[in-house]
Amino acid sequence: MLERANTFKKHLMEQPWGLWWLQARRLIRIEVRRNLFSWKASWIYFLAFIPTLIILIHLLFESHPAFALSDDTNVLAGIVQFYYIRLGVFFGCLGIFSRLIRGEMIERSLHLYLLSPVRREILLLAKFAAGSISALVLFGSAIIADFALMYAAFGAAGQDCVFNGPGLGQLEAYLAIIILACLGYGAVFLLLSMMFRNPTPAAMLVLGWEAINPVLPSLLQKISVASYLRHLMPVTIPGDGIFALLTVQTDPVSGWAATLGLLLLIAVVLAYSCLQIRRLEIRYTTD
Amino acid sequence: MSVYKHEYRAYSGRVTPLWTRVVVLARYGFAEVWSSKITVGLFTLSMLPVIVFLIGIYLANNPVARLIIMRGNPQVLTIDAAYFLKVLETQSWLALVLSAWIAPRLVTFDLADNALPILLSHPISRVGYVLGKFIALFASLSLVTWIPCLLLFAYQGYSSSQPWAVANIPLAGGIMAGAVIWITLLSILGLALSSWVKWRVVATGLIFAAIFVPAGVGGIVSAILRTKWGFLLNLPVIMSELWQRLLGAPEVRWPDQYIPNAAIAGVLILICVVSVAMLNARIRAREVVRG
Repeated sequence: MLERANTFKKHLMEQPWGLWWLQARRLIRIEVRRNLFSWKASWIYFLAFIPTLIILIHLLFESHPAFALSDDTNVLAGIVQFYYIRLGVFFGCLGIFSRLIRGEMIERSLHLYLLSPVRREILLLAKFAAGSISALVLFGSAIIADFALMYAAFGAAGQDCVFNGPGLGQLEAYLAIIILACLGYGAVFLLLSMMFRNPTPAAMLVLGWEAINPVLPSLLQKISVASYLRHLMPVTIPGDGIFALLTVQTDPVSGWAATLGLLLLIAVVLAYSCLQIRRLEIRYTTD
Repeated sequence: MSVYKHEYRAYSGRVTPLWTRVVVLARYGFAEVWSSKITVGLFTLSMLPVIVFLIGIYLANNPVARLIIMRGNPQVLTIDAAYFLKVLETQSWLALVLSAWIAPRLVTFDLADNALPILLSHPISRVGYVLGKFIALFASLSLVTWIPCLLLFAYQGYSSSQPWAVANIPLAGGIMAGAVIWITLLSILGLALSSWVKWRVVATGLIFAAIFVPAGVGGIVSAILRTKWGFLLNLPVIMSELWQRLLGAPEVRWPDQYIPNAAIAGVLILICVVSVAMLNARIRAREVVRG
C-alpha cells in the first residue's frame, strides 16, 4: 500500500507542472482579455452595473433619513438575492462560460487549441479559471460599488453601520455568495456548453429549477446552486405570492457546510467536464 | 445576333401576386421551424398543461366526479375568468420558450450564412421578408396559445349544463386579444433580437434575458426609488395585469401598485417600435466582411 502511494507520488512529481502552469497562465491571459476588454463583453458590464447606476440615482436625488437604513439594508439584500443570483450572475455566467468552448466551436477556432501540445484538461481548467476571473472581477466590483453607494448616502449613520455594526460582515457574505455563484454557475454552464450544441434551453431548465427550488423537498434542494447560497445570505428576504406559501423550510445549514457543499458540487461538475473534453470531437459541419 | 447585343431586359412575363411571395417565405420558414425534433418536443410539452386544464373542466362539469372528488363542493374547482387566466398565463409563458427556440432558427441562419443579399435580390421587399418570417413564427405560437385556449373555452361551453358560452363571450374575446397581443410582441421581439446576433445560441439566451433581466431591473427601480413605475420594465408583471383586465379576472395587486392601461399600452408599443427599428437596421441586402 505504502509502495503504491510512493509510486503515485513519484508519478505526480514527474509531471511537467511548470509547463502546465505556464500554458494555463497564457490561456487565462488570452481569455480574460477577450472577456473583459472587447466590445462584445459590454453587455456583461450592463448586467453587473445597472443596479449600481440605480443606487447612484437614489444617492444623488433622494433624501436619506437615518430610519431608512434598515429598509435600504433589506433592499440591498433583495438585490443580491433576487437580481444578482437569479438574473445578473446567471445570465452573465451563461454568456461568459458558454462562449469558452461552444463559442470557439461556432467561430471554428477550437481545433487550433486542440491541435496544440496542451492537455485538454489544462485547456478546460484554464478557460474555467479565466471565465471565473472575468465574472468575479465584474460582479465582485459591482457588489462593492452597490454596497458603498448604498451606505455612503447615510453619512455618519451609514459609516457607523459599516464599521461598527454588521455592515462589513454583510459585505463579506455578499462577496462570498457572488464568488460561489460565479464558480457554481460557471462550472454548470461550461459543462452544458460541451454537452449541447445550443446550451441555452438546458440553461433555462436550470433557471426554472433554481426558481422552483425553494418549493421542492429538502433532498432535491441540495441539487441546486441557489439553495446553498440561500444559507449564506446575511439578511434573508422571503419570497412573496404563492411561492411564500409553498416554500419548504429546510434545516438551517452552517456557512461552512453550505460552502463546502457547493465547492464539492463544483468539483464534481469540473471533473465530469474534464472527462467530457477528453472525448470531445468537433464536427464543424453540424455546429 | 452577336453576344454583345444581349442586353439586360426586365422580365415582362406574368408575375405572381405580392402576397403569395410573402406566403412562400412563411411556408418555408414554417417548414424549417418544424423540421427540428426539439420544436416538436417543445410543442408536445406545451400541450401537457392543456390536457391538465381539460381534465379540470371535465371534473368541474361532471356531476359524478364532482360528488366523488370534490364532495359536491362547487368552490373547489370553478371554471371562470380566473381559471382561464391561469390557462392563458401558462400557455403564454410556454410560448416564450417556444419562441426563444424558433425565432433564431428563422433569422440567424440567413444572417450567419450571408443569405440576405440573395434572398432580397428576388422580387421580395425587406418588409415582405420580415412579414414572411413573422407569419411563420406567429402561426407556430398560435398553436400553443389562443387556439388551445379557445378550444378549452369551447369544451367548457359544450360540457356545461347551463348556457355558459353565450354568457361568457367577452371572456373568449379577452383570451383571444391577450394571446394575440403577447404572441405579436414575442414574434417581433424575437425576430429583432435574433437579427442582431450571429449565433443561434446567443439569440436564444438573449430572448430570455430581454424578458427577465429588465424585470429584475424594474424590481430594483421599484424597491430603491420607492415607485410603482419600475414595474413598467417588468414585462411578466404588466402582461399579467393586462391579461387579468382583458379577462375580467379579480385584481391581485395592491391598489397603490395600479398601473394604468395607457402606460401598459405605451410600453408594449415602445417595445414593438424599437424592435421594428432594430429589424430595419439589420435586415438589409448587404454582406459585412471583417478581417
